[in-house]
Amino acid sequence: MRKQDIICIQCPLGCRGTVIVDETGGKATLEGYECKEGKKYAEIEAHEPLRVLTATVITESKRRPLLPVKSSKAIPKDKLSECVRVLAGLKVKPPVAAGQVLVPDIFNTGANIVSTAEIVE
Amino acid sequence: MASRLMDVAIIGGGPAGLAAAIKARESGASDVTIIERAETPGGLLDQCVHNGFGLFYFKEDLTGPEFAQRLIEKAKDLDVNLELETMALNMTQDRKITACNSKGVFTIEAKAIILAMGCRERTREAIMIPGTRPAGIFTAGTAQRYVNVEGFVPGKEIVILGSGDVGMIMARRLTLEGAEVKAVVEVLPYVGGLIRNEVQCLIDFNIPCLLEHTVTEVRGRQRVEGVTIAKVDRNFDPIPGTEQMLECDTLLLSVGLIPENELSVAAGIELDPLTGGPLVDEGRQTNIPGIFAAGNVTHVHDLVDNVVYEGELAGSSAAEYASGAASPRKRIIRTRPGKNIRYVVPHSIAADKDAVLYLRVKEPGERVSIKVGDVLTKPLRFVKPSEMIKIEVPARDLRKIDERAKELEVNCDVRRSTG
Repeated sequence: MRKQDIICIQCPLGCRGTVIVDETGGKATLEGYECKEGKKYAEIEAHEPLRVLTATVITESKRRPLLPVKSSKAIPKDKLSECVRVLAGLKVKPPVAAGQVLVPDIFNTGANIVSTAEIVE
Repeated sequence: MASRLMDVAIIGGGPAGLAAAIKARESGASDVTIIERAETPGGLLDQCVHNGFGLFYFKEDLTGPEFAQRLIEKAKDLDVNLELETMALNMTQDRKITACNSKGVFTIEAKAIILAMGCRERTREAIMIPGTRPAGIFTAGTAQRYVNVEGFVPGKEIVILGSGDVGMIMARRLTLEGAEVKAVVEVLPYVGGLIRNEVQCLIDFNIPCLLEHTVTEVRGRQRVEGVTIAKVDRNFDPIPGTEQMLECDTLLLSVGLIPENELSVAAGIELDPLTGGPLVDEGRQTNIPGIFAAGNVTHVHDLVDNVVYEGELAGSSAAEYASGAASPRKRIIRTRPGKNIRYVVPHSIAADKDAVLYLRVKEPGERVSIKVGDVLTKPLRFVKPSEMIKIEVPARDLRKIDERAKELEVNCDVRRSTG
């Protein structure tokens, strides 16, 4: 049995609850979460915490030296630093469209790194 | 640009201004202009590259630039006129704005004006930290602009004073960019920003948050070499003997935001000392007829979604005013912050119209009830000063208010533990 206090971050209410994981059967008991989303979040968080990565990459644009990017879906929390190191070595050339894939399937997470803004020149 | 009479002029092209412009056009105003001093519209969203925007308004998890882009595209589709790189210098009660840009100084006359200038960060001067005056002290928002837009990391070893949202977001951002964030130092006994930021920005990266601590001295000649921090007592005075030295080359300040109302004050607009923003009615009109205000210029929000809702409200009210069709408000009731309530916006409401109240508590609390006069009670599990509370009060409830009552007091009571 593993007991973990997990604060839900799915919405600004930030419900404070507890997840009790039965390691043998893998079943989780949830206490203190008010909605479906919160319960879903807490259960995932107890097993494999996921985060959306946001960062910037260097561009060759003179007007806009950095391009904001994000992961197209949440990725394992322990992969965040490695992903940022990959992005640090990247340099993109304009034009870049908003939503354009810059790194497909980063570290086999199934998430693409996509641009969150447009650079024309 | 020659002087001309337009329907609605909006000062500020951030989320509040863009939302107000969109709604003003949708409500029938034909000539809507935004005056924006930056090169691009969108305001602060441009440098907020993190996600968490739009969960309520768009029902999607967007980054700042993505949220801004949706508003900008809609404003452009609706032919909102954007005067970029243009600075509003002065505004008068008869709704004339003096502005300047590379073409020179000119006057804009509008049937209605919406103030959407946003807010500014409090600086070291505002909180008077003793010590030397070396390089390496930044407000968190300035550091955010350096890191996310201009491409500079301001330092390698960082201490952040204040646990506001921008401070916590920068703690994560700087950590991911390779800097070491030694601590976030917070004078209050609880974290200042949103819970999700405490979890994702501090707890995730094992960044210590020292509650009930403050910076008592900045050290270093040319560059910051360290700060002295100390525990504080209930009056926020440092407790002698608790001082410790943290070596760092950079101190970031995330110590609060102040609505930017220089233009408003010069025009004779009355401010609420509790919010720092104009006194407004349910349609976000100030004490000067035809001048409206929305977003962080009115009160500092924690979610852009609410800024947009407020912008829309001001936009539709301003369009109605400009058309000359605004009906006079009949029975006016003032709102008043009561027990454990820091402020309530709007400051007055019309008894025959639906109202949306935005408010903040003074102290955190669990299992509380927000009571709006004796007409409405909203139970809440958890309240915190940093998390704004939104309460919709329908006109049918407002009609229950005693005919003679001129005030509506809002209170936050702790519920008895039985329920």
